[in-house]
Amino acid sequence: MNKVIAIVRKELWQYFFSPIAYIVLASFVLINSFVFYIVLAAMSKAASPPISPMALLFGGTFFFWLLLIVMIPVLTMRLGAEERKSGTIETLLTAPVSDFEIVIGKFLSSFLFYLLAWALTLVYVFILKSYDNVDFGPILSGYLGVILIGAFFISIGIWATMISRNQIVAAIISFSVMAIMVGMTFFSFILGSEKKELIQSIDLLAIMENFSKGVIDTRNVIYLLTGTVLFLALSVKSLEARRWQ
Amino acid sequence: MLKAQELTKLYGSKKGVENINFSVEKGEIVGFLGPNGAGKTTTMRLITGYLYPNEGDVYIEGHSIIENPSKAREFIGYLPESNPLYEDLKVKEYLEFRGRIKGLKGKKLQQKMDEVAQKTEITDVIGKLIGNCSKGYRQRIGIADALINDPPLLILDEPTQGLDPAQIYHIRELIKSLSEGHTVILSTHILSEVEAICSKVLLIHKGKIHFDGSLEEMKSALRGRTQIKVTLLCPEYKGAELLSQIHNIEKFAVEKSEEEKQCAFTIEGKEGVDVREEIFWKCFETKIPLLEIYSVKRTLEEAFLKMVSEEEENQ
Ligand SMILES: Nc1ncnc2c1ncn2[C@@H]1O[C@H](COP(=O)(O)OP(=O)(O)OP(=O)(O)O)[C@@H](O)[C@H]1O
Ligand SMILES: [Mg+2]
Repeated sequence: MNKVIAIVRKELWQYFFSPIAYIVLASFVLINSFVFYIVLAAMSKAASPPISPMALLFGGTFFFWLLLIVMIPVLTMRLGAEERKSGTIETLLTAPVSDFEIVIGKFLSSFLFYLLAWALTLVYVFILKSYDNVDFGPILSGYLGVILIGAFFISIGIWATMISRNQIVAAIISFSVMAIMVGMTFFSFILGSEKKELIQSIDLLAIMENFSKGVIDTRNVIYLLTGTVLFLALSVKSLEARRWQ
Repeated sequence: MLKAQELTKLYGSKKGVENINFSVEKGEIVGFLGPNGAGKTTTMRLITGYLYPNEGDVYIEGHSIIENPSKAREFIGYLPESNPLYEDLKVKEYLEFRGRIKGLKGKKLQQKMDEVAQKTEITDVIGKLIGNCSKGYRQRIGIADALINDPPLLILDEPTQGLDPAQIYHIRELIKSLSEGHTVILSTHILSEVEAICSKVLLIHKGKIHFDGSLEEMKSALRGRTQIKVTLLCPEYKGAELLSQIHNIEKFAVEKSEEEKQCAFTIEGKEGVDVREEIFWKCFETKIPLLEIYSVKRTLEEAFLKMVSEEEENQ
């Protein structure tokens, strides 16, 4: 565990050394503030909106998805690819630390960064509370959804960076995989009704809608967690595979 | 300490190294010597577990690097060939990170960091960004990392490459001083480096081990027999006749003589025999004036190059 923490510390340190951390945080705050402004505008209308205002922040808008599939590749792309390119992977892989510890350390560092970004949105909750009576149920489940989908996507990003030696390539791979996952919604239009059931259970838009409405469906939770574990396992495998190359 | 067994590594269909066998005992300083592309780095990557072999295995203090990698790697401090470092960390941060992933923490970590910084003389740059350090310092930082958890076995891939003569001298002195508490394996393509530091040599060429033994043994194996040159004042056929009567002469060849009425030969005696005396007495008996006689020693460098080029011809 100490070794994992050492890796997390180093990665976070390197995040804040480069401008990337600040650019990501700034655009995150900018875009979410804009969304929140719309939320407030909607609320100040006489007729109350049909959906919970915070739901817009948790997947209810195009911006949420855009942020997710751009921010996560940017956060994760450096983690493995840069070690390969600079050759430091050689010192890392020959230290007495397991491939699993390396992957978990890298994963946790970007996950913590992601959580930090989302923690900033708690400010909105407080602002909202001063306006109105807020129903905390959907907000809590919404945050749970954000955390789970973040873990899933970050694991995809980690896998992509572990198999690349170029950061941009890593970002493009993870961006593409995430874009396909998010775009799954559209397949349900194409496919016949008998397949709809299956697509719906992995339709991320529908899953986030559930979370933001306060519905915690175990199938959704299991799906996201399984996805996370799967991509982390693939990352560990890819590290091992490169030794056999 | 270390045992490498029948290591073969393929890069695609190309052979990196083939059937490498050797062992290293505690306290030895072993030099991997070979030209570019010989397979030195590949061998080091196999024994550090950075790469796994297609065949064979490596045991470090009895632990297989494939079956039990985390344990086996605890015994190793490794300086890779290009000495890759995180440019955006400070020296101190780097050592701290490396110490932690090697299992150090708290007071012990701080103490080890101070210790290796002093040993490798990097205290001046400890607060600097690695990206701003000069090559000589970077090499020391790499060595400091290799030393931080005090591993019994150090593996240094071309530790003096790209350094100026003064730095080369300092790094060599450092490695020599390390040999008191550590077993060291280093690679180089410079023969004099092996002569300066190592107690044992592995000659690697084209992915195979060509020689494995002490420095002295290598010297004599490389030099081969000493050659003797003579110049006689007589016709060529007479000189040849004289030399063929000496049984201890393995072979001789005619050289171009510079002056008329003289003849010159290059002679190789049998293993371990100095034939100069016999040649003298033979000349004395036959009353052929001996104008010149001297032995030519090949330098190690020449011998090394010769061996390498002979190998190429054989293939
Ligand atoms: N990753 C790789 N992919 C393909 N071939 C490789 C790879 N690494 C090394 N080789 C090949 O394997 C052979 C041995 O290379 P190696 O790097 O071990 O030699 P070396 O003795 O360290 O040489 P140098 O003195 O130049 O460092 C070379 O022919 C090299 O081209
Ligand atoms: Mg090399």
